[in-house]
Amino acid sequence: MEYTAVIGLEIHVEMKTKSKMFSSSPVSYGFDPNTNVSVVDMAFPGTMPTVNKQAVINAIRVSNALHMSIDDTVIFERKNYFYSDLPKGYQITQQFRPIGSNGYLTINTSNGEKKIRVERLHMEEDTCKQLHSWDFSLLDYNRAGIPLIEIVSKPDLTSGEEAAKYVEKIRSIVSFLDVSDGKMEEGSLRCDVNVSIKEKGSDKLGTKVEIKNLNSIANIQTAIDFEINRQALVLDCGGKIEQETRRFDEGSQETVIMRLKTDAVDYKYFTEPNIPPIKLSKEFIEDAIKSSPELAEARLIRYKELGLNDYDSSLLLVNKETSDYFDKALLSKANPKLIANWVIGDVQSYLNKNNISISNFKVDPLMLGKLVNLISEGKVSSKQAKDIFAEMINSNEDPETIISKSGTSQVSDESALLPIITVLLDANPNLIADYKAGKDRVLGFFVGQVMKQTQGKANPSLTSKLIIEEMNRR
Amino acid sequence: MNYLSLSLVELHNLIVSGKVTPEQLVKDSLELARKDNNNAFEYICEKEAIEEVKNLDPKLKDSIFYGIPIVIKDNFSTKDIPTTGSSNILKGYIPLFSSEVALRLKKAGAILIGKTTLDELAMGGSGTTGHLGTTFNPWDPTHQHLIGGSSCGSAAAISGGIVPFAVGSDTGDSVRKPANNAGLVGFKPTWGRISRYGLFPFATSLDHVAYFNRTVEDAALTLNVLAGRDEKDASSSLVPVVDFVKNINDSIKGKKIAVIKEIVDSINNKTIIDAFNKSINMLRDNGAIVDEVSVDIKLLKAIYPTYIIISCAEATSNNANLDGIKFGNRIEGDSFEQVMINTRNNGFSELIKRRFVIGSFSLLSENANELFIRAQKCRRLIVDAFNKVFENYDAIYCPASPSAAPLMDSVSDTLSNEYLIADNYLAYGNMGGFPSITLPIGFENGLPFGANLTAKPFDESNLLKIANSLEKATGLSSLVAGKEK
Amino acid sequence: MKEVNESVLQEAANKLMFSLKDDEVQRLLIEFKHIIKQMELIGEIENVDKVEPMTFPFDVTNSFLREDKTSEPLKREDALKNAKDVVDGQIRLPKVVG
Repeated sequence: MEYTAVIGLEIHVEMKTKSKMFSSSPVSYGFDPNTNVSVVDMAFPGTMPTVNKQAVINAIRVSNALHMSIDDTVIFERKNYFYSDLPKGYQITQQFRPIGSNGYLTINTSNGEKKIRVERLHMEEDTCKQLHSWDFSLLDYNRAGIPLIEIVSKPDLTSGEEAAKYVEKIRSIVSFLDVSDGKMEEGSLRCDVNVSIKEKGSDKLGTKVEIKNLNSIANIQTAIDFEINRQALVLDCGGKIEQETRRFDEGSQETVIMRLKTDAVDYKYFTEPNIPPIKLSKEFIEDAIKSSPELAEARLIRYKELGLNDYDSSLLLVNKETSDYFDKALLSKANPKLIANWVIGDVQSYLNKNNISISNFKVDPLMLGKLVNLISEGKVSSKQAKDIFAEMINSNEDPETIISKSGTSQVSDESALLPIITVLLDANPNLIADYKAGKDRVLGFFVGQVMKQTQGKANPSLTSKLIIEEMNRR
Repeated sequence: MNYLSLSLVELHNLIVSGKVTPEQLVKDSLELARKDNNNAFEYICEKEAIEEVKNLDPKLKDSIFYGIPIVIKDNFSTKDIPTTGSSNILKGYIPLFSSEVALRLKKAGAILIGKTTLDELAMGGSGTTGHLGTTFNPWDPTHQHLIGGSSCGSAAAISGGIVPFAVGSDTGDSVRKPANNAGLVGFKPTWGRISRYGLFPFATSLDHVAYFNRTVEDAALTLNVLAGRDEKDASSSLVPVVDFVKNINDSIKGKKIAVIKEIVDSINNKTIIDAFNKSINMLRDNGAIVDEVSVDIKLLKAIYPTYIIISCAEATSNNANLDGIKFGNRIEGDSFEQVMINTRNNGFSELIKRRFVIGSFSLLSENANELFIRAQKCRRLIVDAFNKVFENYDAIYCPASPSAAPLMDSVSDTLSNEYLIADNYLAYGNMGGFPSITLPIGFENGLPFGANLTAKPFDESNLLKIANSLEKATGLSSLVAGKEK
Repeated sequence: MKEVNESVLQEAANKLMFSLKDDEVQRLLIEFKHIIKQMELIGEIENVDKVEPMTFPFDVTNSFLREDKTSEPLKREDALKNAKDVVDGQIRLPKVVG
């Protein structure tokens, strides 16, 4: 039997605001447990939520990037359930009026462009973190109350590849908008997947299976493709798909059952009475959008206008940090193409070799720009530039300082080069004759000799120009 | 002379003129608190109060609360002072922060001498359901009559002459009903007028900070201290705060007052009706126009069930944080679920559990349309009906209760109009967030009873003016148990 | 609407993380049937299902949003002061099985 997969994604994005969704305690990662916590986050009796302005701005920006309609009234609901990681016994979320609704996202797959509809985007708060040991669990409230955006797609996706591209695009959007780190490995972007299959051409939907615990984009693709095949196999053997929650097992690269889904939980939603409706003015929404950081798509257009090709641009846009580095280097007014070559070439290979990320890279992008300028001006050769670059990583110094210290600067001073050239030509009158008779390679020989005598410091183009002038004079 | 039986204004004058010192007042008040035999206290701030009065800033001398001993209901968070909500589940809980109300009073120079009992988690109206047992009415030394709740301990402390001011909270009538039973001024300003930050929530959309005074003027002075925006409470109002005392003695000539016919008709007690009618004449004598106005009796009867459904639903959720994990009286178990279950089984009384189930059931998606949502719709009809009255009237005036303090074992016919309307109608003030004040208008067998004035949102100035005029006319102010006027 | 009976109420209680004794369920059943009767009467009020549900006492819409600034977090020992079982600066629970 041939089947079509119907896939929907729910993505949770942890925002990197300064303070939490409903309290002013710091949003932080990697701190000691329970050191970034307020009375609100731990639900002490009598505490009340107040809505973080930046979280709302972020939600507006992402909604806009996903072409959604934006609700100008912000209202929250309570989702009531008991769990060990839920301090209040309810989560404040936006069930009935998500801030963003009815948008779409365009993805590029091996089969071409595809529009994926996005149903809703809403704000909510994270739960506390649980650390499980063999016989007990420990609770850390640092994560409790961190602002989240939940993005729910329509079930428009049909393969693991499409899902991976969709998540990749969302990841790019939230990170370029400075909304989130978007790191799946660290949990700042989390993805739940619903997969069902139906007979090809049929309108009858299959039973939905939920997959959790997906911590990389590659795993999303593998898990979905595995799950589609598993379901097809079950149906082909006359079996029945159970409504269940499965998780992806990294070791076996398979989805395994966690639990059957019994009756849907009734969350007893009702309007959060502690937060009166917040009316967002037209100006507020417009400002949030207008002041929005530049998305990868917009940067791509800009890079192409700078003369970069698609391939180089895509390498610069691989993540926001690399693109930001490049943009900063551009402020040096150096040649964009040359900068791009450095960033995706020497810089990237250094980072890869040493396994560090560009945000931890010591060399100031403006200094890299300066180096590129020195090359363009002919003050250093490409070969010298590589040495200087190595030294910049080492000493963190300005390229000009490095040059003046080591004397590696190219000799571009005519008065320094002319005496060497004069002596050389005086010693080889026959070769000058050969040159004048049309043997061009003589010039190369002379330039080589000058380079040799200056230990490679002579500016080659200047040297060659001076030699020609001098020969013509004789 | 027991200075602690005086009004805030009288006491303030004595303090300013040096006739009595804050130290002496606090000492006396603590002494009376220790001797209290009405079960008014959850905690007496022996050391804290002495320390605080010692460090009292003399620069605050002009403040009406300078050096005044006060009590606060034990559902207001107070830093470093145990706060239980009169529930076993919070036994041993010591808050890390103070409620905005406690902070503002402290800043005004008030000295907290104790935390007072309440019906468990403020979910009751009898003053009998707190974890320390029944709180008694100081007007009845035989302890047979209720003081009412849920702000029972605060009402007992002020009517018993221990303090001249007491903070409570009012979700249905939890200050305005005990005020009726204890001969006090009980005032609930507009929803949002006073920050709820630090008040243990019962039913958020109905909860109000409210308080007891001995005079209407004191109530106005208190509002000057407590009113105003607090950014920690998103529902705290941005409406500008005025001086509520300034015009309090102005004439009420031409003010229009509505008496709701169906509410008065639901009361059978002749003493109350007579005193109420007499008080209407006083208002008229003072120049007010008092008319009888009708409100659909079906809506009046709907107030109580609507209130029950909404308040229980919100309460279920509001108290879901009480699981023993982060704070409170945790009881161990084999799993986290069992820890929560053991803690909550041990921590809540039956009454509370019943209310939580009612609330939770009302919110379930298959029931909500007929219970919670319907109650919210009915709330709108009720509020609209009263707002319609306020289109033509400055205030609504009715008896506060069908009786003076009822006997402990009195059983109400829960289907009678007297129960459904007269005994429970005050919750309309919470549904509409209306400012509402109860004040004494008479006595029956030595027990005081009161009437209630309610106005449209944020119109406290007019409300207090009318109440003040009525109080002057009845002469029933500064009532303290055992000192009947 | 779900029929109100002993098991439904007991189940609702269990979901709220407590249990009810038999006599407690009986009392609750009586109380609840009474309230439901009253709610049915409310259902008969003209227009009741035609108006919008009311959450807030009056129109409280505003445009206030908290600035994204941090304040000093609690000291860890304070944050955990009221918890009964603390290990390594964290609150301990019996193992949570997802």
